[in-house]
Amino acid sequence: MTTLDSGERRRGSDTRPLITELIDEGTVESIAQEAWISLVGEDEVLVPLPGGPATDPVSSWVDVVGPWTGSVVLTTGRRTAEELTRALLREHSPAVLEEEDVADAFGEIANVVGGNVKAALPGPSGLSLPDVGSAPALRNPADLCRVELQWRGEPVSISVQGALPPLPAPR
Amino acid sequence: MKILIADDSRVMRQIVIRTLRQAGYDDHDIVEAEDGADALAKVGSEKPDLVLSDWNMPNMTGIECLQALRSSGSAVPFGFVTSEGSPEMRERAANAGALFLIAKPFNEETFQEALSGVIA
Repeated sequence: MTTLDSGERRRGSDTRPLITELIDEGTVESIAQEAWISLVGEDEVLVPLPGGPATDPVSSWVDVVGPWTGSVVLTTGRRTAEELTRALLREHSPAVLEEEDVADAFGEIANVVGGNVKAALPGPSGLSLPDVGSAPALRNPADLCRVELQWRGEPVSISVQGALPPLPAPR
Repeated sequence: MKILIADDSRVMRQIVIRTLRQAGYDDHDIVEAEDGADALAKVGSEKPDLVLSDWNMPNMTGIECLQALRSSGSAVPFGFVTSEGSPEMRERAANAGALFLIAKPFNEETFQEALSGVIA
């Protein structure tokens, strides 16, 4: 019997996984809670309630490159990022925070959350150094796992978002 | 005992030092390095008894630093403190000669478990 190669199998393997097939909001929230307790403080909790848009938002993120490629992005208000920095520095917190301190501390939180998200995804994957600034653009709204939380009453969101645009719809 | 802490994040170096103290290791000399290349140089100049290193750093990563140390004949005890604690990373670390890998986030118990047989 002759089997015709229709190309279906090849096309099937060409599809990329969406983040929603790989990780859920509960896992991302759990990773964030553990990072907060370890880095920010034992009594510091993230409340799983949407806090609305942040005032003067700032983001920190790391990129994951592998079977799934995208970014793990933390976003909060600049004042909250400064509060987080003071919480991490504790007794070493200076009277006046430098921009460099906030980038270091807020970036390190993204590094810890992102490293643990990466460990929960299929590998092997690479992890970038953290970056701080305006959040990377959302390229594919379907390739997004987002949790909205509050810390000390202020909004903190975590987006695990794909870096690639949607694939063309199959004909 | 002298401990070299390598991490490109100054904040994380301070958190590692604080956690060492909370874990009971509070009477050791601490030397800091800001990346793998700095750590490699300071192993030569400072002669630490233990290196605690991040994995992902600019200039030279932690695993490259460890490989360079072993290639040069250094047998300094070396452990990772990194946000990447997957089984494959642990295997790579062990194969390169690391004694342990502490995954971030950590606490003082994590440090005690990893360091109990390493620090007197």
